[in-house]
Amino acid sequence: MNLGTRKLLDHSFTALGFGSIIIMGLALLVVLFPIATKGVGAFVFKGTIEHRKLLLSEFHRGDPKEIVKEETETNRYRQKVFDMLAAFDQELDQMDYEQQSKYRSSYDQVKTSLRTLLGPLPGDSEPALTRFQYGQTRWDKAEEKLHGLLYEQKWDYSNPDVIAKPYDVSRAAGFAGTSLVKLFPYVEENLDKMMMPEWTFYWGFFTESSLDAHFFGGIWPEIQGTIFLAIGAMLFAFPLGVIAAIYFTEYARDGFLTSMLRSANSTLAGVPSIVFGLFGLAFFINTLHVSESKSVLAGSLTLAIMILPTIIRAAEEAILAVPKTYKEASLGLGSTKWNTIVTVILPAALPGILTGGVISLGRAAGETAPIIFTAAVSVGAAIGLGDVLTSPTPALSWNIYNLASEHEAAAEIRHVQYGMVLALVTVVLLLNLSAVILRARISKKLKG
Amino acid sequence: MNGDVASNQSRSSEFIVSAQKHKIQKIKQKAGEAILLLIASFVAIVVFFIFWFVARDAVPFFRLRGFAEFFTSADWYPADDPPKFGSLAIIYGSLMVTLGSALIAVPMGVIASICLSDILPFSVRQYVKPVIEMLAAIPSVAYGFFALVVFAPLLQNNGGPILMWTWWVIAAPFFLLAVIVASELLTTSIAKESMKKSAKMALNIVLSLLAILFLYVVGNHLQGLVIMSGTNALNVSIILSFMALPTIVSVSEDALQAVGRELREGSYALGATRAETIVKTILPAASSGILAAVILGIMRALGETMVVWMASGNSSSIPVPFYNYLDSVRTLTATIAGDMGEADQVTGSARFHVLFAMGLLLLIVSFVSNLISERIVVRQRKILSGQ
Repeated sequence: MNLGTRKLLDHSFTALGFGSIIIMGLALLVVLFPIATKGVGAFVFKGTIEHRKLLLSEFHRGDPKEIVKEETETNRYRQKVFDMLAAFDQELDQMDYEQQSKYRSSYDQVKTSLRTLLGPLPGDSEPALTRFQYGQTRWDKAEEKLHGLLYEQKWDYSNPDVIAKPYDVSRAAGFAGTSLVKLFPYVEENLDKMMMPEWTFYWGFFTESSLDAHFFGGIWPEIQGTIFLAIGAMLFAFPLGVIAAIYFTEYARDGFLTSMLRSANSTLAGVPSIVFGLFGLAFFINTLHVSESKSVLAGSLTLAIMILPTIIRAAEEAILAVPKTYKEASLGLGSTKWNTIVTVILPAALPGILTGGVISLGRAAGETAPIIFTAAVSVGAAIGLGDVLTSPTPALSWNIYNLASEHEAAAEIRHVQYGMVLALVTVVLLLNLSAVILRARISKKLKG
Repeated sequence: MNGDVASNQSRSSEFIVSAQKHKIQKIKQKAGEAILLLIASFVAIVVFFIFWFVARDAVPFFRLRGFAEFFTSADWYPADDPPKFGSLAIIYGSLMVTLGSALIAVPMGVIASICLSDILPFSVRQYVKPVIEMLAAIPSVAYGFFALVVFAPLLQNNGGPILMWTWWVIAAPFFLLAVIVASELLTTSIAKESMKKSAKMALNIVLSLLAILFLYVVGNHLQGLVIMSGTNALNVSIILSFMALPTIVSVSEDALQAVGRELREGSYALGATRAETIVKTILPAASSGILAAVILGIMRALGETMVVWMASGNSSSIPVPFYNYLDSVRTLTATIAGDMGEADQVTGSARFHVLFAMGLLLLIVSFVSNLISERIVVRQRKILSGQ
């Protein structure tokens, strides 16, 4: 090959390297961007009057006078809608049976749409579920529902070779010639006056319990559960891991026993996370009976076993990074080995050990599989500190799965799911960021 | 001053200890060390316990149903009467997504680690490493959520065009390069300079036309693909590959760093370009370490639960045809996670124990591959330090 081609190949190789690293960076952005933008939407959004009504009656927050004022204002505009419905009801009564049945089902759909948009209509009985007691609390959702009111979605099956495509059919056209026709443009034009959207910072999302299966309210029980589980795991794993690391670095002699223990450590690091869950179920719950069934304690123990290898490795590295001269100086002054470890080596290695601890904390907070069988429940109130030994808890990681995959109306509460993911990712990444900063400071310090 | 001397003297008198005291101190030290050893061996005990307790709940299944059905039948109907526990399709699903993610993650990871260790200057490396660490730190359930809520609808609605563009962006530069190199190699035997040039030109044109035709045909086929469901093996493979990447990159970067400067400098001195040095000298020297990295990365993909549970579609049948990555699959991990709730945790039912059998299978595979990768790393370290 001539030099030109060789150079070209060399440059393309470099480009390939850059390309793969850029793809990794892009992947990170692509994953984090929707989570960040839509996650913020969980607590910063245009809240409607329904949101403020809900806060007032369920959480006793907000200015009652102001809300009553707003309510009368919005009701003025809503009343016209209700009047139109009443007028159409009368019109419907005067029709013959055939015409009635022509409009009936479509009219019921309109009413259902209005209910989801504005809350119960006059004359409805008080609904049992909270989600039906209020209209749309978020303006973006309200606009979505407005579309559902104005247009009926139908599916196009005409081409059997492709997947059926949806298309919109105007509802107003279906009611042509009746008094109801006016309702659709009226609602479309005056929806903002009926809902009074306002930019809201809903901090309660992080501090309040959920209402009616996460339709409303916040995610505090999940946040608290995650904190309990992660800290519980650290309480078990951190001391054990540090002591084991001390043994490996300061006492262990090369031999069969040590190499076996090291092998065990890397084996433990490679065990699939779901197997930890199985083990936690079989050992902590079914054999040791640490609790009746799932509990924070069992979950923490399982997570502790999972993060133990990481802590040991990080602590080992941190202890090995302490300059030998420290140790020699201390031993030379006549201090015992144990004394040297406790008073000289550990303080010097502490930032490094903490780095490993912080990363493990993040890992314990983010893991789902080990807690499925040992600690997590889908719905529940925040548990008290006294209950951690006996009761299970909701947790961010598990509830993200649960809300996204198993909730009966997963598509309706996407914003809550995004908010949860954002909360979890933020916690984990912040922990990792602090570890990175800590590590940078250590390497600076060790360099001198 | 005087006080200092006095205290020094009193302390030195403490050092004159009787033989008995010395003995007690020795015993204390030994006992302390024993306690430390006990705590350090806790990890080994835990590993043993994990094997023991998972196996203890897995054995009843094999005793009840035997081995043949589990490994050879693809009929997974645990809730039927009589139930069927054929797990072949599930094992196949696990292998399929693992292979798919390895196909993406291994080349990308190895190239990225080369770039990190040999190409990028230190100042840039400092900013790339946190990116890789962040990729590793993002919780698996967040990846799963992304795969289910963002990626799956995208793939379902625009899968064809996405695949086509990806194909063009990735394959076109490769084909261009291949055309140039091929025409160069094919014309080396021509002696006359002017003839060589025109032959090269002609070859270039012919080959690039062929390449464009091939690219177009494949791209067109990809664009025409109908993706019935976005939750499929392809989706999961892509997401899993990005979860396995950090492991592969960091472990193989260590292996590349372990290859000393001498080899690199020797190769450069012989006139090799950087690419030639890396491909012909460094990669062979670091190959075993990279193999260990690949094994660890693959294990990460095989053991992952949340992403496959949420986004693989969970259909327990072998895709038709068997290489169809656009079909839904179901994996061992997802089955364990998903079926435990329905198995009601009734100890004694085959439905409960079959999940432990799957866990045991995963455990054994991860144990063996861990041992292998560890051996490889140890051997490489020995070879490199021996030189």
